[in-house]
Parts: sequence; structure tokens; C-alpha cells
Amino acid sequence: MAEQAVIVRDLTVRFGDFTAVDRISFEVGRGEIFGFLGANGAGKTTTIRVLCGLLLPSEGFVRVAGTGFEQGDRAIKTKVGYMSQKFTLYNDLTVEENLSFIASLRKLGSNFYVERRKELLEFISFDRSLGTPVRDLPGGTKQQVSLAAALLHDPEVVFLDEPTAGVTPASRNLFWKLIRKLAASGKTVFVTTHYMDEAEQCGRIALMREGRIIALDTPEDLKRSVFPGAVFEFDPKTPLSFAEVAAIEHLDLFTFFEPYGLRFHAAIRDGEDWNRARPELECKFNIRRIKPSLEDVFIKTVEGKKR
Amino acid sequence: MKLFWGRAGAVARKEVFHILRDPFALAAALGLPVLMVIIFGISIEFNMKDIPLAVNDADQTRSSRMLLDRFASSGYFGIRRVVSPHQAVAELTDQKARAALVIPPDFESDLISGRQGQLQLLIDGSDNSTVGPVSNYVNRIVGAGAPALYDLRTRYLFNPELDSRWFVIPGLTVVIMAILSILLTALTIAREWENGSMELLLSTPVRPVELIVGKLAPYGVLGIIAIAFVYVIARAVFQIPFVGNLAVFGLGSLLFLITYLAQGLLISVVARNQQVAMQLAMVTGMLPSNLISGFIFPIESMPTFFQYLTMLLPARWFMRIARDTFLQGSGLIELKVPFLALTFLCFAMIFLATRKFKRDLEP
Repeated sequence: MAEQAVIVRDLTVRFGDFTAVDRISFEVGRGEIFGFLGANGAGKTTTIRVLCGLLLPSEGFVRVAGTGFEQGDRAIKTKVGYMSQKFTLYNDLTVEENLSFIASLRKLGSNFYVERRKELLEFISFDRSLGTPVRDLPGGTKQQVSLAAALLHDPEVVFLDEPTAGVTPASRNLFWKLIRKLAASGKTVFVTTHYMDEAEQCGRIALMREGRIIALDTPEDLKRSVFPGAVFEFDPKTPLSFAEVAAIEHLDLFTFFEPYGLRFHAAIRDGEDWNRARPELECKFNIRRIKPSLEDVFIKTVEGKKR
Repeated sequence: MKLFWGRAGAVARKEVFHILRDPFALAAALGLPVLMVIIFGISIEFNMKDIPLAVNDADQTRSSRMLLDRFASSGYFGIRRVVSPHQAVAELTDQKARAALVIPPDFESDLISGRQGQLQLLIDGSDNSTVGPVSNYVNRIVGAGAPALYDLRTRYLFNPELDSRWFVIPGLTVVIMAILSILLTALTIAREWENGSMELLLSTPVRPVELIVGKLAPYGVLGIIAIAFVYVIARAVFQIPFVGNLAVFGLGSLLFLITYLAQGLLISVVARNQQVAMQLAMVTGMLPSNLISGFIFPIESMPTFFQYLTMLLPARWFMRIARDTFLQGSGLIELKVPFLALTFLCFAMIFLATRKFKRDLEP
């Protein structure tokens, strides 16, 4: 375990005048589940494409599974697995044809391929015929077969770009079981997601905003560092008008006040002020202290308004 | 080298699966050329028969009747008699006749007294394509009746009956192959971009040239099969003679096919979207091969600039090869210029497609 699975230092990617990724640095350890969060266009996919050898960095140092661009992008491609956010298998080909096509492109020996295919299909609990055309598979199964395709060459690091976008919650749970199994077997999993419940399952997460990493920590530590003070849930006793909500929102009491379903989550600025104001607010709300959710962290940091 | 063919082979095999899974595309690839040859073969007729000819015979003599008999028996004209020269012109403006012949009252008396017989021929000049054949036929008919000063005997080489099918169908194979091959490949890479499968290809260590070769091969075979179909129909259905060397024609077809398949790939690489690729293929593949390849309009009669421009067009060179091998029996020696030009364009196109593709794909 000499080297980290992914080492990125001062990585910058520019497209013409536009800087998609702006001097980011981080490391990912072996066997870690590393989450990448951020709004669309924050630079997550661009970073992943660089780490998979699909895009040349404009500046900076990249080392993935012991290789870098100095050995050529093809060296990186043989070491990592990549599952794009688009569905990339051929719908008109069967599962077997898709997998064997990828195996040939990757020059896997036929014994290795057959063995590996068996292993992976067991891993994803694939119980259909190998001759099923991919287009006939349900969405969740498609994603799982995509994962198997990305793992076919037994890569040390696998990059999953929004792997669960658009599949049912049950399939998402199943998929995350697979991700945890992968990590347990020593693979490094690098995953982007928009689902906060998924992000909670990552070992560490990096929050990206406008090409930069604005926070990087375990989910628990992120919550602690972003919300050092107490966080409360406000449950309105009667429906509130927009004006009433806006009035509360603008009280100087809070550093954070955002809707959460029909309720509100708020972080208070100062304990004494809060104790004074609380009785009045309790006429309108049931208030209870909560642990901040990752969604609160995300809203405050990534989408957050400046306060 | 073995490594190279392994990946290209895998790509080719995958393309074959795509082709076989899409029966409509397969049927279109093989059926369309056949259909086009048959439709064109039946409908294109540059030789005209029964051209409506308005005749005002003011002479009404034995000589004028003999002349009209020759017109009628030639088969080229259908005679519509009118009573005055004015009415003859009216027939032309009403589109009832393509040409009008006026025989003045003293036609026979002029001939008898040793003067030249006067005849007036009016041809509808608004339709250029009929003017040539009409005046040609009239001159032949009228000339045959006049006492000859010279004994001019004309024989049409390579196409003794001037059957326009003989001329059109070999050229048509060129046009069909151009459209077909450019369309076949124009869609393949654009499809990979659209489906997202390009991401998959990019994430593997496949090289651009392996993709290009792997994609060219199966469509090349499909194109060759289509050419064979067209050839068989031309020979069997339309009885077009083939006096040249089949190997020379085959070699030319192969070169031409690969050039246009590569052009299709180039389009596909540039367009990244099937709809744009389709339109570009139509514009760059179909129009020039129809209009400035010499298929319909002779290159020699184009403005000088266009004559040079056509040199960049593979269809122009293959048009020569196709026609000359079919009808004249030319071999490689006679066709060395078209062959060299085609070879050059073929390599240039593959080079361009690969280079553009590499720029797009390599990080």
C-alpha cells in the first residue's frame, strides 16, 4: 500500500477561455469510496475524464493507479474502469456481444474473459440469458451490466459518473451494495452523485463548485465543520405565506434557513439571541434540534447564497 | 500487427452485428441500388420517339408528300397536320408539338427547276434537351432525300444504336455507389456519438485508425455486394454489353467505394449527429456525383473552373472507368489517369478522416 490510488495536484483543465477545473488537489486511498458532489457544470465530469485518460490536463500532476500521462493516455485506460453518465452499451447487441466486444478492445485473453465474465455476472446477480439484447433489460440491470463492463479488465480504480441517475430507488440501493462490495474487495471507487443519501455512504466526499474543491472530508466531519453551531428543524403549525417565510429568513438570527420538504432547517448564529427569540417563534413552529443532513451541507456550500 | 487487427476485427465484427440487427438498413443498402437502376433504366431515355411535329404542307405535291412520308416512317416523329404557319407556331406555344415544319407552296417547283427546295424548321428552344436530337433527326431525314455531294457514312462506335441506356446505366452505377457508400458510413460514427457509446470506445485503449479500418471493412463488403447486384441487373435486365476487363472494373469500384466510405467517415466525424451527417452526405455525395461528374452533363462543356474542380471528384474518374470498361473495353493502360487520380483521392480521404478523427478522439 505504498501509493495512493489517485493523486491529483494542482490539476487545471481549460477549454479555450473557460476554466472547467481550477487547480484542484486531492488524494484517494486504495479501497476508498470517494464521492464527488457539485452542481452541474462544477467540473466533476471533466475531472473524471482526465483521470480516465479521456482528456489531457492543461496543467498539474495526475497519477492514477500508479500511471500518469507521461506513460500515455492508453496506459491509464488499461488501469482504470470508467462508467460514463451516459448509457454506453450497444442496445442492439446482446449482453454477451457487448462484453466480448469490450474484452477484445481491451485485449483480454479469452480464458481470462470467460472467467471474469462469470465472476462479474455473479457479482451483479445477473440471472438472465447472456443472449438477451441489452435493450430488453430493465434500467437497473442495464446499469449493473454497464458496471460489469467497466470492471471487465479488473481495474484497480473505477470511476462511476452518476451511475444511478434515472433508476428506481430499489435499484439504487442494490447498486450501492455493489459499490460497497467492490470497495471491500480492495478496489478504489470514485463516484459522482446528486443523491445525498448516496453521498452519505461515501468514505469521504469532495464538494466542487465552479471548478474548485470547496470542501473535502468525511460526511460527518463535513457536517461538523459546515455547521459548527446547533441546527434546528422548524415544523410550521399552520401553513405559512411566502411573506412570513421571507420575514423569518431575513432575521439576523440564522446563518442558514432553507426549506426541507414542508419544514425548514436552520442554523443559528448566536445562542443568546436565539434563546430570546425562540419563544415567539415557537408560537408558529414546532422546533426541535436535529443533526444537519448532508443536503444542508450541500445547499449551504455548493448552492449556498452568500450570507 | 496482430494486435492491430485484433481490435479492428472486433470493431468490424460489432458493425456486422449492427448491420444484421437492422434489417431495414440492410434491405435499403442492397435494395436501393437495385431499385434505382431499374427505375432509371426504364425511365431515362435520351433517344426520343414519336416527337410531336406540327407540319404545314402548303405545297401539297408529290415531293412534299414523299418528304413527309420519310418523316412519318422514321419513327422519330408523330405528324400533326396544321393548315397555316401561324397554327404551327400555336401548336408549339400550346406544348402540343416540340417542333414545326413549314413546307412553302413552291417547294416542288423549286426542286424541278433545279433550285434548292426551301423548308423551315421551328424547334421549341425552351427545352434544351430536345433541341439536339430533333435537329439531328431532321437533318438525317432531309439529308437522305437530297442528292448527295459527299458520301458521308456515319457509324456510331461502342454504341451502334446510340441506346442511351448503354450510356446511362454504367454511369448510374457510379452515382448509386456514391450515395450508398457515403450514407453507409456517414451514419456510423455519428451514431456512436449520439448513443453515448463513443465514451465507451474512448475509455478503452482502442486507436482511431483501428476504429476507422474496423468500420470501413464491413461496409466495403456491403458496397461490393451492391455493385455486383447493379452489374448483374445492367447485364441481365438491360442487356448492356460489358466488353472490358471485369477485374479492371472491379478494382476501380473498390477504390471508388473506399474513397466514398472514407468521405462518409469524415462527414461522420465532423457532424457528430446523424441528421447533420445525413444532410452533409446528400450534399457532398449525391449532388456532385449527379451534376458535375459527367453523368448527365459532359465535363468538356463546363466552364473551365468547373472542369478543374471536377478533378477533385472521385465520381468523375470512376465515371470514366465505368463507361470505358463497359462499352469501350479499356484496360489499365488507357485508364491510367483516372486510376492514378482515384488512388490519390482514396488515400487522401482516408488520411483526412483518420487525422480529423485522431484530433477528436485523442485527449
